[in-house]
Order: sequence, then C-alpha cells, then structure tokens
Amino acid sequence: MSTSATLAWRYMRGRPGRTVLTTVAITLGVALIFGLNGMLPGLTDLFTKTLFAAAGQVDLSVSSQSGGTFDPGIASKVSAVPGVAVATPSVRRSVGMPNGTPVNIITLAGIDPRTAPRVHSFNVASGRLLNDGDAGSVVIGSDTAGKLGLHVGSSWRIPTVAGTESFNVVGLLANGSSPSAPEVYVTVGDAQRMTGAGNTINTVEARFVPGADRTTVEAAVRRKLGSDYIVGGLSNESTLLASVKTANYMFTFFGLFALIMGGFIILNTFRTLVSERRHDIGMLRAIGADRRTILNIFLIQSVFQGVLGTAIGITAGYLLTLVALGFYNPFMRSILHINATVSPSYTLGTWVAAIALGIGVTVASAVIPARQAARITPLEAMRPQIAEVAERQRSAWVLLGWAMLVGCVPMLFSAQVSLVGLGAFAALAGLVLVAPALIRPLAFALVWLVRPFSPATADLSSSNVTRQPGRAAATASAILVSLALVVAILGVVTSLYAGFFDYINKSLGSDFVFIPNGLILGGSHVGADQSFVQRIADTPGVGTVATMRLGQAQLGAGQVQVVGIDPVAYPKVASFTFSQGSGTADIAKLGTGRTMLVNGITAGQQGLAVGKTVRLQTANGLESYTVVGVATDYLNAKLSTVYISQKNLENDFNVTSNVLVLANARPGAAKPAVKAALGRLVANYPQFVLYDSATFKATQSQIFAQSFVVFDVLIAFFALPTLLALLNTLAISVLARTREIGMLRAVGTTRGQVRGMVVAEAMLLGAVGVTLGVAGGIALGYALVYALNATMYVMPYYFPWGGIVTAVIAGFSFALLASIIPARTAAKLDIVTALHYE
Amino acid sequence: MSIVEVSGLTKIYGSGDTKVTALDHVDLCVDQGEFVAVMGPSGCGKSTLLNLVGGLDKPTSGIVRIGGNDIAEMDDATVTKLRRRRLGFVFQFFNLIPVLDAAENAALPLTLDGVAPAEARRRAQEWLVKVGLDKRLHNLPDQLSGGQQQRVAVARALVTDPDLILADEPTGNLDSKSGDEIADLLKVASTEWNRGIIMVTHDVRIASHAQRIVFMRDGKIVDDVKMPSGDGAEAARAAMEKAGLL
Repeated sequence: MSTSATLAWRYMRGRPGRTVLTTVAITLGVALIFGLNGMLPGLTDLFTKTLFAAAGQVDLSVSSQSGGTFDPGIASKVSAVPGVAVATPSVRRSVGMPNGTPVNIITLAGIDPRTAPRVHSFNVASGRLLNDGDAGSVVIGSDTAGKLGLHVGSSWRIPTVAGTESFNVVGLLANGSSPSAPEVYVTVGDAQRMTGAGNTINTVEARFVPGADRTTVEAAVRRKLGSDYIVGGLSNESTLLASVKTANYMFTFFGLFALIMGGFIILNTFRTLVSERRHDIGMLRAIGADRRTILNIFLIQSVFQGVLGTAIGITAGYLLTLVALGFYNPFMRSILHINATVSPSYTLGTWVAAIALGIGVTVASAVIPARQAARITPLEAMRPQIAEVAERQRSAWVLLGWAMLVGCVPMLFSAQVSLVGLGAFAALAGLVLVAPALIRPLAFALVWLVRPFSPATADLSSSNVTRQPGRAAATASAILVSLALVVAILGVVTSLYAGFFDYINKSLGSDFVFIPNGLILGGSHVGADQSFVQRIADTPGVGTVATMRLGQAQLGAGQVQVVGIDPVAYPKVASFTFSQGSGTADIAKLGTGRTMLVNGITAGQQGLAVGKTVRLQTANGLESYTVVGVATDYLNAKLSTVYISQKNLENDFNVTSNVLVLANARPGAAKPAVKAALGRLVANYPQFVLYDSATFKATQSQIFAQSFVVFDVLIAFFALPTLLALLNTLAISVLARTREIGMLRAVGTTRGQVRGMVVAEAMLLGAVGVTLGVAGGIALGYALVYALNATMYVMPYYFPWGGIVTAVIAGFSFALLASIIPARTAAKLDIVTALHYE
Repeated sequence: MSIVEVSGLTKIYGSGDTKVTALDHVDLCVDQGEFVAVMGPSGCGKSTLLNLVGGLDKPTSGIVRIGGNDIAEMDDATVTKLRRRRLGFVFQFFNLIPVLDAAENAALPLTLDGVAPAEARRRAQEWLVKVGLDKRLHNLPDQLSGGQQQRVAVARALVTDPDLILADEPTGNLDSKSGDEIADLLKVASTEWNRGIIMVTHDVRIASHAQRIVFMRDGKIVDDVKMPSGDGAEAARAAMEKAGLL
C-alpha cells in the first residue's frame, strides 16, 4: 500500500466513531437506491411472465388497435399471407374469481380446437385437449388445478356475463402458466357467450412456416390488415411496465436525495479531518510529502469510506427489500388479488447506480476539503491554531442563491408543470446556497428558543454556531433537504388522501357499489350483461341504477380506456371531479352525437381541452369525438381514460357488458335488507364484490393506509440524516473547541453549563435547519401536488401543516438526541488535558 | 565543506505600519558534520531562519544554498523533493502521526520517496535501534514517553541519510533528563554520523552540546561562537553575556 493509502486506512481505523457516522451517511442513500429498486425486477418479471404466458409460443399475435373485438374472418386473412403456416382466432378476457378462491383472477382463453394446437405447444399432463364443438369443457394448467383442488372429470363453476356456469375439466396441462392470472382454455364459442362478445374475437395468433423471414411476414400481415390492427404486439399491459419504470426513477431519485444529504455530512466530516490533521499535514509536507500525497490521503480515505458505506448500504438495502416485500406481497394478494410472491432481484443498472453513486458522492464531497488540505503550506500547518478562523463567505454563491429564491416564486405560480418543478428545485438549491449567509441572522434571531436550556451560555452557543458558517450551513443544508422531503411527502399524502376521498364521494358515492374483484376496471375483465343490471333494478328497495362499461381505443400514439356511462342515469347516482366543465350539464351532453369527457391524464398527455375534436380509433374504424369536459372518477384516476355514452360504446366498440354497477336505495327503504337481497343476487356473479357506501369508504381508507406505509418508511429514512448531520457536527464542534472548553471550565463554568451550551448549540442548529427545511418543503410539496394534478390525479392542495409539525418535532427531537453524547463528552473533559489539547 | 550557505537573508512580514523585519541580512555557513545551535530571545528570528533554510518559507531577499543550489529559486515540487532527500526535521512537539507505529513513523520519508515498504521499515528499524528504541519499534506514539517520541522523530530525520538536520526547540517539550539525552543524540549524529545540524533552542545547557553557537537579536546574528572543549554550558553562558543576551 502507498503511504497515502496506509495513512488513510490508519486514520479511518484510528477514529472508529467518526468512521461509523460518515459510513452511515453513505449507507442510508445506497440502501434506499438498492433496497427499493430491488423490488422492481421481480415485479417486472411477474408482469412480463403474465404477458408471455398469455402470448404462449406464437410467432405472431394480432389485436385491434383499439383493444376491442373484431371479426373472426381476420384469422383467415392472416393465414392466407405467404409465410404464415397457420392462424388461429381466440377470445381472451380476465375473469375475477369469487373472494376466497386460491386463484383470484384467471385468463379465460377461448380457442379454436382445430387450429390452436398447431400454434401453441400444449403439453397434456392428463386427460385430453379440447375437441371441435366441445361445449362446456375446460382445460387448465396442472398447477392451477392443484390450487383449486380440481382434476380431470371435476365440475368447475366459472363466472360469465350471465352468472356462473358449470364446466367439465377434460384435461390438465403440464405447461407453466402466468403466476398472476393463469390461463383457462374453453372453445371460442363458449368464450364468446361467457364474455358477451357475440360472434367476435379479440386475438389472432399465428405460426410461420419454417425458415420464413419474420420481418417480411410481419410486414405482409400489416399490409394486409391495415392500420386498425396491432401486429406482433405484446403492448396490452405495457402501462404496468411503464409504471415499474416510473417507480424505478422515483426510487433512484429518493436515494439520490438521501445521498445528497449524506454528501453534506461527509463534506463536514472531511473539513474537520483537514482541520484536525493540520499539524500532521505540516509535518508531512516538511519532511517531503508533496501536495498530491496530501490530496491522496483524503481522497483515498473517501474511497475507503465510500466502498465501506456502499457495501453496508447494499447489505442494508437487501434487508430493506426483504422488509418492503414482506409488506408488499400480502398487499398484492389482498388488494390486487395477484397470488404470486415477488423475490428480491437486482439489475445491473441498480448495482451500478448504487455503487457509482455511493462511492461517487463520497469522493465528490471530499474533493473540496482534500484540495484545501493540499494547498496548506507546511508553515501554515505547523502554526498553532488558537481558535477556528471564521471562514470567508462566498458572496457570489450567496447572491446566486438569492437570485434563485426570487426566481422560484414566478416559476412556482407559472401553471406549467416543468416550470413549477424547476421552481421547486430552485427553491431548494437557493436555500442551500444562501444558508451560509442566513446562519448568523437566524442563529441570533432564534437564540431565545435555547435560553431555557442554557441561560448563562446561550449567547456563547449562538456564537459557536455562527463562527463556522460553512460548517453550520452544510449541517443546516442536510437538515433542510431531509426535513423538506418530510414536509413535502406528508403534504402530498394529505392532498392525495383528500383528493381520493373527494373522488370516492363523487364517483362511487351511491348507496351500493358492485365492483370488480381487483378494483381495476381495465385488463379486459369479464363484466355482466344487462340482465344482471335489470335484476338489481328489480330488487325491492333499489332506486336508480347506473353502470360503467369498458372498451379500448387508440388516441394519437397511445391507448386509452373508453368508459361508457348512461348520461341520464349516471348523474343520479354519481358524479365526476371536474377540472374543466361544470358537472351534470356536461355529462348530459354525452347523450348528443359523438362527445366525450376526458380525464386529467388524457388531457395532459394529448393536450386536450373543452371544444377540441379528436379522432378515436374505435373497433369499427376512426371516429371523431368532441371533448365536452375534463373530469375524473375514482377507479380510472390512474389510467388514461375517456368517457362516452353507452350507446356510442355499443355502436363504435361493440361493448354491451357492464363492469361496474352503482345503485341507490329508494327513499325510506331499509338499506340492510336491500343489501342482503343484493348479496344473494351477486352470489351468482362472483367477479363482482358488493359494498355499501360506508363499508366501501372504510375499505378504501384501509387500502390507502396500507399502500402508504412505504411513505412512512421513506419519511423515517429521510428524517434520519437530520440526526446524523447534527451528531456529526456537534462531535466535531466539541473536539475542535476542546481547549476552549478547558478554559471555560478553568474560569468557573460548571459541567452543567458546558452541557447546556452544547445542547443549546444543537437546538439552534436544529432550529435553523427546521426553518430552512419547512420553507423548502412547502415549495417542494406545492410543486409535487401541482405536477400530480397536471399529469395524473386532480386533487386539492392542502397546506402541509401536518408535515410542518412533524418536521418541527423531528428536528428538535433529533437535535436533543444528537446533543446527548457530545454534551456529555464536553462536560466530562479533564481541565488540564483539555487546556493542553493540540 | 559548507552544506548550507546563507547570504544576505532577509524576511519581512506585512507592509506599511505593520511591517516586521524578522530576518535582516543574515549570513551563515554550516559545514558537513557541524552542530550549530541558534540562540536568542523570543521573536529574534531563530525559527524564521530555520524555516527559510528548510525551504518551508520563501525569503524576501537573499540566498539559501544547499549543496550549491539556491532553494529560493526552486519551485514547490523541487524544494519538497529536496526536503525529503537531503534534509531532516525535528520539531518541538515531535509531530508523529498518531496512527502509525514507531517504525512506520521513522520510515515515512522513505515511503514518501517511493522506497519499498519492507526496505523502508528495515532501514527505519536500524535507526530506531541506533537511537535506543529497539524495544519500542511497534508502539504507537501515545504508548511512548515524550523523550521516546522525540527519539523516533530523530530517527525519522536521519533515515534518509540527509546532509542537514534542522531541529526547532527539540527539547522544549521535554524534562531536563530527556532533553539532555536528545541533545546528546544530536551530538552523536553530527560527530559519529557526520550530519550537519542546526538546532534552535532557548536552553543554554542544551546549546552547550553544540560545537558552535550563533546568537541572534532583532533578526540579526550578533555573535557566532565556536565552543571550546570542556564545560560547554559555562562557555555558552559566557558567550551569551558577551553578546548582551543575559
């Protein structure tokens, strides 16, 4: 090992406490990046498996551009294309199973028994495959049969649009099936009847002749079918994969924030190391160490710390993944009804990000102090340091900070998402830059807060905070970022909570709700036909009934959900949250011509506003629809959605089945009795769950609380650096002032007063950090809520009082906690030793 | 033969009203194997002279030649290399690296110069044995007494076989017995190991170990006395009285 490396390593070992504190600062950020992203490959794998299991081993898959159904003759057209050996038509739909069934969702696949075995490789474990005209028979995977306790010859009831129907299990397949929604094979005819698809299909799958050029054949099929069809696509559920990608960015962003906080702590640590080792640096320079050797000592130490912190961070991250999945797997089972377990898995990108950022941020934070150390001349270093010299203020940076703070105000109110985001960044960066200049005024202004802790030495504490504005500012910056995130996240959660319950009250505010098992309308779920709705309406005590139906369309380059409502009945039981338009009158407009409401995501993505006309790719070709309002309902808040009349949905998309039913009780009717009657009715439609209004809200509240546990964990993670930053700075401060503390004790300061002085210093630093953090958090929270409003959910902005209270409590509690050890160390110092401390 | 030649050396700090002349046209030569003590009251320029000779500071004017080369003309890298290879330093507060053991501390100038660690350690241990620390090779500085720490510092100064050792108050932080031992050690370094030594000290008894004492006052050399054999301390005291320093 070189001299620099040896010294770096020995210095690290020589100060284990400092090494641990610095390492923890790095570990936190790396653990967040590595731990949270460790869940994603498993989730991606789950979704991908679902997609590929659905696609099987086919060479080509054809679906409608709109996502809807089409004529079975398309299969013949595909098989006529040169290079295609065989094409088979199929109907594929998700079916929600009754609550308590070991398999929550199945993929009902209606196949043509003559052609499907030539396209798919079915591996029969027992029984047989379907035969032509084999009505009422079903073939399933052995694993699924095992879960359901079925075998060849069993009878199995499957939900259909007309209630459950009994099927005879004729064969079991050895093939592995999708973990989240296993395939269940019936004949096309059965599937069409079960899903209300009439004589239409929604998929054609094909095999190529051996040796055919894949690209050429695909192009030929595309030419033959025209632009109304997607050829070779597996894009139906790509929104799920896109969500995983977004989560990846978010988690890395959170981890990066944590590392930035760690960076401030490391910066302070290395500044202090340079200060502590001035004499060593002087001696080394005197006996012939050049500047590079000195620089290398600190840089190599930062690499050691970075590697150590990253290694521990990766281990901690793995544990975090396990804990997070421990929460998430049951959540998937109970809420999303996906019966699969996701295991920790890490992509190369996650490894690279964790290692590069962990070591990179540590080394980057050490560069400035290391360069300062290398610039010290031997003579400067050997001179005795009587007291810490006040740092030169970098006024240019402070001026830039003020400019950013002034500039962020118009940006935050610009009503443009990118500018609002930039405004929040400018606010945080501006606060970090002006922090050194604000330390003195804030410390003096807030000194009254700490007088109760140390009446005699409060002013001394205030001076101690301000004598090293750079160090105090770095500490305050770490606290600022930490608490700003706490304030912002809590603010967003508050707004989200309020927003969602506003949606629920408006869009699902009826007395009774029949809702799909998985709470997701999309995914081609099998709903119920009109006879089910009629039976609900005929139930004694039931008043108005309204439904939602669901189709898919292509709008521009993207897919949108098309929700069909009855413009007359729907407003009587529910409403939308409007961001453009007025309400019932706009819903009524859906009854005239081809008009639509669009939700916030669609409006944002497609740049739509009231009055604009767009071309929708429907199941029956391109049609022009005019936007009459921008509105969102609860269940479709997360997906790009348009709302049209059920009449238009039937004409343009061939959809007549209902995926959501809302019903009100007649005035004066006994709701429990009505609910009991409806409960008996829904027993034959297990793809639906019946809720009354209060239960539904309570369930949603519980789901909300469960899914936001991750935010609580994040808040804890982000608050922790406050403690670390304070602990580190106070330890450094006491060490650097050892001689002064000795002098104070020598002239009569009691141990208690010394203790009080350090506690007061901690509280003052905490107060400065809290002040800056709350300011930054308000800006960041506002920007996040604004961005969510513009791109996803419409939600009211709530001033983050809860976040501010949490930040104040966290800031001061951590300050008190962080001061305990340094205060005790300072109070216990031996006077003579302290006076001779070098 | 002179290993150090100082000519017209002047160092002025500050300017205008705050101007302080720390050294004022000082001339001095030190020969190979010569042990020179520099004495004088606080602020007379002793340490400034040592720092300029050691290349730790730049003179305002004048020349410092080591081995015939003017170090004032050298850039930082060259003068650093010269310090590493041709000069040894002993400080009042020992200045050992607290996380390295005695052998590692003594080997530092060699390892900084790229000598293989095993070889550097071997040579450092030889010197530690010579200065009487054969049983303390692996002790950390805080496990050594002040005198022992200063012996390590002397071994560190000698390990590169330098032409000149610069010692700034090497006994200032030691009790009288340890101080005498260090002074004896420096004397051995000059007489037996043929090193030139410039030692700044306040202590007459310590200075008496030198072959020559240079007296300074107000930045100037006011006397330069070759020590007679016999009772050095008495001779030094007499010389100081002669120079008007007592």
